[in-house]
Amino acid sequence: MFSDFAALIVLLPVIAFVLTLFLGKKLPHGGAYLPIAAIAGSFIISAGIFLEIYPEGIVQQSIPWFSSGSSTMNMGILIDPLAIVMLLMVTFVSLLIHIYAVGYMSHDPAKSRYFAETSLFTAAMLSVILSDNILQFFISWEVVGVCSFLLIGFWYHKPSAAAAAKKAFLVTRIGDVLFLAGIVMLYVELARIIENPANAFEIGSGNFILQFKTMFEAIPLIDKTQLTYITLLFFGGAVGKSGQFPLHGWLPDAMEGPTTVSALIHAATMVTAGVYLVARTFPMFAATPDTISHGVPDALLVVAYIGGFTALFAATMGLVMNDIKRVLAYSTVSQLGYMMLALGTAGAVLGSKAVGISMFHLISHAFFKALLFLCAGSVIHAVGTNDIREMGGLFSKMKITAVTMFIAALSLAGIGIPFLNIGTAGFFSKDMIIEGAFEYGEVTGDMIPYAFAVIAALLTSIYIFRLWFMAFTGKPRSERHSHESPSVMTIPLMILAVLALFFGFSHTGFYGYVESNFELMGVDLGVHEGEPFHPSVIVILLPVIVGVVGFLIAYLIYNKRILDMSKIISSQNPLYKLLYNRYYEPKIGADLIGVKLTHDVAAQTGEFIDRKIIDGLVIDTIISSTIFKIGEVIRKMQTGVVQNYASITILGVALLLVLLRLEFGGI
Amino acid sequence: MAGLISLMILISLAGALITFLAKTREQARTVALITSIISLAIALKIFLGFDSSISTMQFVESYSWIPSIGVTLKFGLDGIGMPLVLLANIIIPLTVFFAWGETKEANRFYGLILLELTGVMGVFTSLDFFVFYIFWEIVLIPMYFLISIWGGPRKEYAAIKFFIYTHVASLVMLLAIFALYFNSLGITGRASFDMFELLKSYQVMDGDLIRGVISLKDAVFLGLLFGFIVKMPAVPFHTWLPDAHVEAPTAGSVILAALLLKMGGYGLFRVILPILPFSDSKGIMITLMAIIGVVSILYGTFLALAQRDLKKMVAYSSISHMGYVTLGAAALVPLSVSGAMYQQFSHGLITGILFMSCGVIQHSAGTRIIHDLGGIAKYMPKLTFVMLLGFLASLGLPGMSGFIAEFLVLVNSYFTLPTFVILALFGIVFTAGYHLWAMQRAVFGTYNEKLGHIHDGANYEIASMAILVLLVLYFGLNPNPVLNMMTVNAEQLVKFAVGLRGVMI
Amino acid sequence: MGLYSYLLISIIIFTIGVYGIITQRSGIKILMCIELLLNSANLNLVAFSSFNGNATGQVFALFSIAIAAAEAAIGFAILVALFRLRDTINLDNINILRW
Repeated sequence: MFSDFAALIVLLPVIAFVLTLFLGKKLPHGGAYLPIAAIAGSFIISAGIFLEIYPEGIVQQSIPWFSSGSSTMNMGILIDPLAIVMLLMVTFVSLLIHIYAVGYMSHDPAKSRYFAETSLFTAAMLSVILSDNILQFFISWEVVGVCSFLLIGFWYHKPSAAAAAKKAFLVTRIGDVLFLAGIVMLYVELARIIENPANAFEIGSGNFILQFKTMFEAIPLIDKTQLTYITLLFFGGAVGKSGQFPLHGWLPDAMEGPTTVSALIHAATMVTAGVYLVARTFPMFAATPDTISHGVPDALLVVAYIGGFTALFAATMGLVMNDIKRVLAYSTVSQLGYMMLALGTAGAVLGSKAVGISMFHLISHAFFKALLFLCAGSVIHAVGTNDIREMGGLFSKMKITAVTMFIAALSLAGIGIPFLNIGTAGFFSKDMIIEGAFEYGEVTGDMIPYAFAVIAALLTSIYIFRLWFMAFTGKPRSERHSHESPSVMTIPLMILAVLALFFGFSHTGFYGYVESNFELMGVDLGVHEGEPFHPSVIVILLPVIVGVVGFLIAYLIYNKRILDMSKIISSQNPLYKLLYNRYYEPKIGADLIGVKLTHDVAAQTGEFIDRKIIDGLVIDTIISSTIFKIGEVIRKMQTGVVQNYASITILGVALLLVLLRLEFGGI
Repeated sequence: MAGLISLMILISLAGALITFLAKTREQARTVALITSIISLAIALKIFLGFDSSISTMQFVESYSWIPSIGVTLKFGLDGIGMPLVLLANIIIPLTVFFAWGETKEANRFYGLILLELTGVMGVFTSLDFFVFYIFWEIVLIPMYFLISIWGGPRKEYAAIKFFIYTHVASLVMLLAIFALYFNSLGITGRASFDMFELLKSYQVMDGDLIRGVISLKDAVFLGLLFGFIVKMPAVPFHTWLPDAHVEAPTAGSVILAALLLKMGGYGLFRVILPILPFSDSKGIMITLMAIIGVVSILYGTFLALAQRDLKKMVAYSSISHMGYVTLGAAALVPLSVSGAMYQQFSHGLITGILFMSCGVIQHSAGTRIIHDLGGIAKYMPKLTFVMLLGFLASLGLPGMSGFIAEFLVLVNSYFTLPTFVILALFGIVFTAGYHLWAMQRAVFGTYNEKLGHIHDGANYEIASMAILVLLVLYFGLNPNPVLNMMTVNAEQLVKFAVGLRGVMI
Repeated sequence: MGLYSYLLISIIIFTIGVYGIITQRSGIKILMCIELLLNSANLNLVAFSSFNGNATGQVFALFSIAIAAAEAAIGFAILVALFRLRDTINLDNINILRW
């Protein structure tokens, strides 16, 4: 019964968006209750659908959208296990963050605009999740990007916010264009397959060309090289959206937006859309040929390496940032890298289990990272600065925030007790990823992704506890009187903390449910399911050990202060400089490629060609002046003497007569 | 039903004359608005009675005019012309309404706008090459005066440049039309300027223009193509456009970009595509058109990046967007052609918003130089809202009409012109780049106090733009009403090209 | 005398007139030459009229003579005005319309 109203999941927040946009200013709290009610409605419908379809139902609804000739695009809804877990997570986290924002944004004069935009964002994000075809997916994906652009630039009067918004949109746009190119190539492949009578491939009734179902069914018929290109282009889109190397630079800058936006969009939901895309089209990735490494589909190999490298790369920068939100932003990039790593490595050896592993980390990450951001927001709200060097000693003043943030940090660092299966959400999810990477190493003999994952885990633990110790312990470093946030803000914190602690225990059920996704869709993955996995004790223990070691390092340095960090973090230290300047990514990306190459070189060359060559040389110098010179010569004929004109006239008549005589032979 | 088209054209012509004679500004603008709305109503009536499942001409009417040389006043609409007539009738009333506050010689101003409506509707409906050419030239004159009377500081230069460029192109086209005419006369022995007869007679044209260099067929094809791509405009014949836009008054810019450029694209579909498959060197011609299209897309984009003047930037973006029309037409796949037609329609709506935004900013802040603006969102929230939506539509945001068009063109052109499509895709990132850069510098950021106190756009200005925004959104979410009209005709056009490239999807 | 002789005379007069227009510099002489041209045309008209037995040509000749008179009057009036203004009717000196 709930499934009949699946479309309302998206439509409710859209309605809330329109109402808030136009009426919000007149309503209390900027009309915040409209989106809250709408998203609560979406959550209830999602939960209802989940109860209806669990464990092996699928909801599919489709209507034709626009058609031209033989191929029809459609709009539709597909709720399978993959979608429903995302749906529940997004509606729930979005709901909590909206409630939190009532308190957090209470002093902002433009809060109705804020709630309108987040409402639209939620609608678009839900539409991404629900899409049953790649075109609607892409459209929603772009709308999500625009909302992100608007919300990063929410305080548009700040030049840094306006610049960050632009950067975010442009960098993700690079990925989007790759994604679009992938869709273009896919469409052409599919159309050729359908048109070719030799293939006997037909789209089932009620299905359409760019639907996931059609795509998956056509996989065996798609040319293998083309498939690699298509999946890699899709992955390009995911790289942009999920802030993977080399398109990661926008995400830390995106922290210019309100903290709630960072929590909702740039931690829990939108940035995971890239991972969701790879998971959604996983059968295509898994079907790519293994030309580079034996037994590993090329596309998955790329996913694994980019993901693993990003996990490590971003964690190193997280170590040195002083802005509390930037640390968390790099942490997000790094964790997204883990999710990609899981899809790549486990995908290659464990098949569809990888989707379960990756999605589980995605969900638990959403909980603890949203929690971290909301705690950070609570701290910023109280202290009035983002700089952790100016915080300190907040534990006694903000107990709820401190404790919930500590729980989130534990979860992020993946602390738990192996063998007893007790631990935080992050413990279960990250362990599985690292073990998956080890399994991949065992099978293929390529241990590099595993090494990435373990080192990144150590760094993760260090930077997050560094953050916590610097903010909450030690002596207060600012004069400001800080106080705990109001309960409208702390209650969401506590709910998320509970989830960050206990969500992990759902892992067995979760894996089984999400893994079954592609079977339910009727897709043969064609990846061999590996041998039952029996890792050695050290492999099981290692992730937790590095987590604890990281905690101890942070404790000793930032709480006990056995080392004076100020000596190491001097501007002379080249390594520190490299990290602190973010590997010079903003310089290379924005200044060199954006301004120098594109604007100064390419655009100015064009301007030169336009003004000097086309207008100047060709038009002015060659064409205009030639005509002018001809005129100069011919005007001399205008002597002003009537007799000359008369002579020329008579000559002309004579000439005509001669011509007539020649042509017609008589006058 | 007969006579609706000529009624529409005559009403706008009569309205233009009455507006010229009007005594006061109040009378002039009221007459102009009412006339254009009547014309819109007739266009809507035609639209409702239009059968989008057939590709033949509908609402055909024919009156004898100069029988001795075979000129008839013949009008009709099919899926190529109908959307553009609709577009013209949407744009003109909104332009009149947007320019509600014009004070300088109002009767002539509004009269010329209505005359533009007459001209473009004539171009989009006439089925006789002679009449087509007359309307084609009529369009030039009001625009020349709009630029040269109400224009900016370099208006004389811009107006004369506009006139010379487009007029030279028209003359070349006229020569090609005469070649077709005499060819047809020689074959059938009957004088006729009927468009379809002439285009059909192209198939059996032979002979050389210059022996061993270029055949007559190719020369005629190139002459017609030249006439149209200058109007579009395509690189390298585009430099008149930025100058004309920079100097033109806002209403002039809107009409120029939204309607006059579409005449070039219309020519591609109406004239070029039916004869393209029969041209002697069709492979070269297709490649030529594809190159022109892609170069326009990329070149326009990079030039837009280099501009300091907001309006000039928008002008270059028009060049870039019209490149998709040429590319889609060159690809000769049914959906790429209908995508190109849809791009014409959609760009007409979007570019209206952009030029109106520039006009409001110029009017309010006194400058359009991006570096001199900054933070105007603070005092112009309403403008910022519609302008942002317009810019997002222009950069091809899904959910807006521009995306449907570009998506159809890119996807379907990939069948036959994959390399060109990949090149065009590069442009998309930079397209987003200049739009966002301009927004960031001009509209967002800290307010530039040097601008003094500025005010938001007038209600009638914002309302005109908001209507366009709503239309852009509507046609982005539900393209069917317009797209369906185009599809049948696009298929019809491409039918000839089957086997040309070995692909027909 | 047949039609041919009339036409021959007409051509001779016409040629004299053309020669005069091209070679003479004085405005009055040129006007006189123009009269010659007109009269040669009149002669032609009358000759054909007689040859065809149709009065139309003669009517036209009469018209033409009337117009020639008017033309001569205007021409001389212009020359008189010109003489008052420039003290000459030598057309070589009256060339302000040149480039």
